[in-house]
Amino acid sequence: MKNRLKVLRAERDWSQADLADRLEVSRQTINAIETGKYDPSLPLAFKIGRLFGLPIETIFDDAAA
Amino acid sequence: MNSAASNPGPGARRLILAGLGLVFGGGLGYAVGRLIKSGVLSADGLGWSDIAAAAIAVCLLAMGVVIGAASFSRVAAGRMIDARSGRPATPAQQSFYRQQAIVLALAGIMMAAPVATVAVFGKVPEPLGSIVMLGVIAVFLVQTAFNLTVWRRGDEMMRQVISETGAVCFWILQGLLFLWAAAEKLGLAPALSAWDIMTILMGVYLVISSLMSIRRGLA
Repeated sequence: MKNRLKVLRAERDWSQADLADRLEVSRQTINAIETGKYDPSLPLAFKIGRLFGLPIETIFDDAAA
Repeated sequence: MNSAASNPGPGARRLILAGLGLVFGGGLGYAVGRLIKSGVLSADGLGWSDIAAAAIAVCLLAMGVVIGAASFSRVAAGRMIDARSGRPATPAQQSFYRQQAIVLALAGIMMAAPVATVAVFGKVPEPLGSIVMLGVIAVFLVQTAFNLTVWRRGDEMMRQVISETGAVCFWILQGLLFLWAAAEKLGLAPALSAWDIMTILMGVYLVISSLMSIRRGLA
């Protein structure tokens, strides 16, 4: 699943570690989400949406849908 | 020079680690060979699964020692998290790595203890066997407690990697076990001992967990 996490993070000048701290996950998890190696759970996706103040579907793009 | 330029890439890092593993493994192999030659250890009572279990135990111990040692340095622990960023690990991350190192090292000790006892004493007298077994149970309980702590402290991706590894291992091993058991029942394959099966399980688990970790970018 594609996502705009890296762009949104860069717009706020946050490092992966900064975002990881805010979401209470590891840096590796942020890296894996950004590189498409891991799709977050629904609770984490909602948390990401709330953090950026955006609906989930504007952050994550399921190209197959 | 920035940290990204001074740090080797993932491929180079794996090559360096493989080289270190070869040197360490070669040295250990030489030392064990010397001990067997001098009569301190005997390989007479050991089967293929004992040799394999000893090799797996050494791998687990080596990983535990390397990760444990790295966890005492913020910079080294930070490189284990992300080699490119050059950002030091936090104390919480250091302690998390330390716990993982303890889990690995204790697993290595548990696997090595029965084999080492047989290698040193040959036919193990019952009192000694009971003492070693009590030690193994004690280590098992401590290791289980640390394992649960690692699970609780891990985030959702780490838990998913652990769960997926368990599921894939079960799927592969239950199939293999069924096929072997059927062949054994039909007199087409030799019987396996519990130790043989445990060694195969641990070997498969290590390979699958490594592949799963690489797939998620954890290794």
